Amino acid sequence: MTAPPVGQPAPSMGAEHAKLRRERWAIGIVAVLVAALTFFEAHLAAVGGAVTFSSNIVIFALINLNVVFVVLLIFLVTRNVFKILLDRRRNLLGAKLRSRLVLIFICFSLIPTMLLFIAATNITTTSIKSWIGGRVGQALTGAIDIARERLEEEARALSPAAESAAAGLLGTVDPASFPRVLESSRSLAPAGTALLFFEKDAEVARDGEVPPAVRAEVLTRIKAVNGDGDAKGTLIGDEFAAAWRRTPGGVIVVAVRSLPPAEAARIREITKAYDEYHQVRLLDDPIRASYVGILILITLLIVFSASWMGIYLARQITVPVQLLAEGTEEVARGNLDVSLDYRSRDEFGTLVASFNRMTADLKAMKGNLEETNASLTRTYDELRRRTQFIETILDSISTGVIVIDRHGRIAMINKVAERLLRIHTDGAVGRMYREVLREEHYEAIRSLYREAGEAAGGQVERQVELVVGETRIAFRVSLTALRDDAGEYMGLVAAFDDLSQTMRLQRVLAWREVARRIAHDIRNPLTPIQLSTERMQRKYAAVHAEDPVFAECTEAILSEVNTLKHLVDEFTRFARMPVPRVEEGDLPVEIRTVVETYRTSHPGIRWEFRQEGPPRLWFDPVQIRRAVTNLLDNAAAALGERGSVTVTCTHDESAGRARIDVADDGPGIPLGDRGRLFEPYFSRREGGTGLGLAIVSAIANDHGGTVRMRDNTPRGTVFEIEFPAHPPAMEKTGSMAPVIDDGGREI
Amino acid sequence: MRVLIAFFTLTLLGLPPGSSLAGPPVPGISEISGTIRGGEARVRFTLRNAFTPEMVEALKSGIEISFKITVEVERVYRRWFNRPMGQVRYTRSVRYDALSRVYRLHRDDGDELLADVLAALDRMTRFEVVVPVTGGVEKGKPYRARVRARLDKVGLSEPLRSIFFFSSLWDVETDWARGNLQAP
Repeated sequence: MTAPPVGQPAPSMGAEHAKLRRERWAIGIVAVLVAALTFFEAHLAAVGGAVTFSSNIVIFALINLNVVFVVLLIFLVTRNVFKILLDRRRNLLGAKLRSRLVLIFICFSLIPTMLLFIAATNITTTSIKSWIGGRVGQALTGAIDIARERLEEEARALSPAAESAAAGLLGTVDPASFPRVLESSRSLAPAGTALLFFEKDAEVARDGEVPPAVRAEVLTRIKAVNGDGDAKGTLIGDEFAAAWRRTPGGVIVVAVRSLPPAEAARIREITKAYDEYHQVRLLDDPIRASYVGILILITLLIVFSASWMGIYLARQITVPVQLLAEGTEEVARGNLDVSLDYRSRDEFGTLVASFNRMTADLKAMKGNLEETNASLTRTYDELRRRTQFIETILDSISTGVIVIDRHGRIAMINKVAERLLRIHTDGAVGRMYREVLREEHYEAIRSLYREAGEAAGGQVERQVELVVGETRIAFRVSLTALRDDAGEYMGLVAAFDDLSQTMRLQRVLAWREVARRIAHDIRNPLTPIQLSTERMQRKYAAVHAEDPVFAECTEAILSEVNTLKHLVDEFTRFARMPVPRVEEGDLPVEIRTVVETYRTSHPGIRWEFRQEGPPRLWFDPVQIRRAVTNLLDNAAAALGERGSVTVTCTHDESAGRARIDVADDGPGIPLGDRGRLFEPYFSRREGGTGLGLAIVSAIANDHGGTVRMRDNTPRGTVFEIEFPAHPPAMEKTGSMAPVIDDGGREI
Repeated sequence: MRVLIAFFTLTLLGLPPGSSLAGPPVPGISEISGTIRGGEARVRFTLRNAFTPEMVEALKSGIEISFKITVEVERVYRRWFNRPMGQVRYTRSVRYDALSRVYRLHRDDGDELLADVLAALDRMTRFEVVVPVTGGVEKGKPYRARVRARLDKVGLSEPLRSIFFFSSLWDVETDWARGNLQAP
């Protein structure tokens, strides 16, 4: 399974990244536009001068655009801030770090900006107040008063010339006389003075040069002079000073002098400053409000720009961190196909590139490991298969094998060894063999190991007798020290062969030979003895009729001869066990017949017969009846006149096995006798031949089966004969069946 | 987003209710009269409540105040659309000259100097405008003049102009006022 690489994986995540990128661009462009428009609008007034209506529309459009952009900037930044807060509440990865960084940026920008804003506002307000409320006003008023006085004085200085000209025109309005009058008045006028004659708001004569603007202003002023008849006055302007006199004839004589350009400029400056001062004083509050508004705008711009910068920088930090965290999580989940899509020239870019290289290396290493693991698995499977093969072989042989490594731990032990040595410990493999084996067995192996160390080839084979359970059993122990090619000790292999069966068979064969010879040697003289004794009774009974000794002795001889014959018959039967004639029959019927016989002969005992499974199977009815008879005979002898015997006939068709259980509740068999129980001529019963159980064992063996003895619950003994229910592959006649005790061990 | 909407809603709710109900006297045009004869109409009218006290103070402080007047003359029909006959846009401004201590009234036909503010205000609010008309003028027929005035501009000094460039200190604009003209 290949997970999508982190960074460019899921479409939703990619769309989110694109959206964030677009927002970033939008915020940047809006911020630049706001700054540019603000700058342009602030300088438009100075550039534009007189503004037309269309320009006003443009300006208002720009203002509105600026406001829209500011609102958009606020919206975008606010949206991002809310998004960060929402992410933090959702405990998204990196949200806390991002919100902390943004908060720090906002604080670091907001605090100095607000301080700057407050300081600038105070400075502006204080400056305006000090400017309009202090001595500036008085100074400007004084300056304009001085300028006015200066011009008035200048105008008064022109009055003589105007008076003289008016006097010259006294009583006449003849234009022909105007040049003469002007000529005569020139001497009274200061240098640079022009004389003008106006009649009915029109210039009728002039002496001297006057700038057109000054002449037009003078004419406007003259028009404002109301009244008729004799009148005079002065006129002042920022470029001139004049004195006028109206003659009775209606002619207005004006003596005007233009100020030098520098002086006129100074007066204009004073007038302008005076006007500005009063305007500022009048518009004090709106000016302050305007400045505050501009400062607020700048403050907002700084704050939101800083906030956005904080968001941007926080994202620059948290995005790669988040990507790395997600990538690490994916790697932890086992996905090594993770590839982070983040490119940057900073340290985060290097880190992400290193992460990608690391995952690629891990993936390659994982591939190698998997290949190695597969190879190891194959090797392990092969080894396990071989080990199982060896274990199967070891389990199928009758030799107990224990493999011990160089550290003394059991590396392998087959079931035969466990059974022979009665090792019931689970998990013996891997444990120290000293802990697993009994002390005597351990010491035996240690002793043999020492011998093996001294023996050539590191191998030794001995026959030892070990106590297993309550029985001393003869084993042939073969111990081999394992060494590698370099001769280093690797461990040892101990093989145990149970010799008791072999020895028992040897004993049985010996006993059979003894029995055959005894039967042969004893049977021959018995008949002459019997015949002779009977002849003596017939011939000398009458002679010794009064002497009972004769009769008693001959009867005793005959009785003992009969006993010896019976014994010889038993020996003969044991020595010559016939080959079983297996045929299909009804096993329960045969056994029930035997049981019924004993029920009749031993009424004090409760005889019970049970049957399980199909009745028909293959067996030799004569020998099976004899084996059951022997077992029931032993049971009746053990019980005396009271007790119960239960005979169970079981046929497990699926397993193809038949079993006959004979259970009594008698006193049981002592542990010490159990090892020799099935040996011939071993009997604890008075008058017993010791051949009953030996014959049972021989019959079971001839049927390819086994006979076992175990304790009955709560008391007594159970003998089990188990044999195949189908025609068995017969072993050679005379062999003994494996006899298994209650621990499952052959005895 | 919900927080933003709530913010704007609260802002709108927080506006002072009825702030525009109790304001200063509304400027308007009154006493429209005149005659139409030959190729022109002579229209007289008065501009009322055009100068607020702040504007008078501004005038005294040397701020130039200018009004733009629009006068339209039309023939009135009872069951048909009126017919426009002529239109004039007329500007009149006044400014105080601190040096010479006079109010300079500027009209399209020339300047006029006035000694005090009352005279200046009087001249700024009484108008007699000649409107050239097209089409024949019939005696006894109804003619009407439509007049509207608005504050054209406030002549601030250079530094203040850069500050108040985007804002109007006072917003004076009348509705259209109508008056009948005599056609003798």
